Amino acid sequence: MTERLASRSILAKSAARGEAADLADPRAFETAVRPHYASLVRRLVLVLGDENDAQDVAQDAYLKAFRSWARFDGVDVRAWLYTIGLRLAFNQLRRRHRWLAALQRVEPRPWRDPSDPDLWAAIRGLDARTRSALLLSVVDGYTHAEIARMLSVPEGTVSSWISRGRATLRNELRQCEG
Amino acid sequence: MNDIDLDLDRRLAALEARAQGRDDPPGLPAARRRRRVAVPIALAPVLVLVLVATVAAGAVVVRGLVTAREGIENPGQPLAGAQLECTTPREAAAFLAAHGYPDIVWQVEAGNPTANGGRGETTSTQQATPPEHGYVIPGSILDDGRPIMVIDQRVGASGVGACYGMPMP
Repeated sequence: MTERLASRSILAKSAARGEAADLADPRAFETAVRPHYASLVRRLVLVLGDENDAQDVAQDAYLKAFRSWARFDGVDVRAWLYTIGLRLAFNQLRRRHRWLAALQRVEPRPWRDPSDPDLWAAIRGLDARTRSALLLSVVDGYTHAEIARMLSVPEGTVSSWISRGRATLRNELRQCEG
Repeated sequence: MNDIDLDLDRRLAALEARAQGRDDPPGLPAARRRRRVAVPIALAPVLVLVLVATVAAGAVVVRGLVTAREGIENPGQPLAGAQLECTTPREAAAFLAAHGYPDIVWQVEAGNPTANGGRGETTSTQQATPPEHGYVIPGSILDDGRPIMVIDQRVGASGVGACYGMPMP
């Protein structure tokens, strides 16, 4: 949550003063996006379930962000990076499912969390969009309206995903613990 | 929000924190300053000829250099299905010796691939004795008949194949 607030302040401060973010300066881009790389990779590990895929998608997201830097609204750089990264991740999952179906193979080298395997198993049972919405809400503290904008879906859909996601996790974890 | 939800939120945040994330993004195009070299237009045909000649010569050289070798555990290879990736380097050495390979080239990869701002600080050395620890990555048979085995000791390394996810031996 703290990271999110910090990301908002990077460029929002200048916006509040009526100054435009220096979108023409590549060094401004690097300064603004660098602090969010590790957290984006971690988020993508949870969404994609694979560390290598997460690294690849994060790199693609940063490249795409660099190319679109001039179009960034200068408000919340973290939300902007997550939006790009998550959309690329969803595309990657679609491609992966098609390939795995075509090759009739199971997913290669999934990430595993030995510290809380029940929660990770329950999280993996959610579809990627529900998982993403839940994490954006729970871990980052974004509102349903903000998440709706990031994932390009209606706000009601986000509320429904988060509600169902929470219920599913609660039930799964209760079964594991019971 | 009840206690179960609060606990769930805490566990979710902790779960994500345990996933590996590199501190720095890879070198972005911004870091490289593009330089323009002015070339008279009359030199363009010469440059094209030089380019074509370079590509052709490169292809000939590369064809002579590249030798594809089958992995030692590939189907049809001497140790097909041996799963040496699940052993320690010493166990792999004993297994190879028992199967007629007493001399092995051990290629040890060490260091931190994400250090130095993501550029990495790693070393790659070859030795005749098996190292004490590291993930075994089965290699292939060299031209002189010796197997080469890669031992990955780098920070963040993981097992491969059937034993992905096991602790570093």
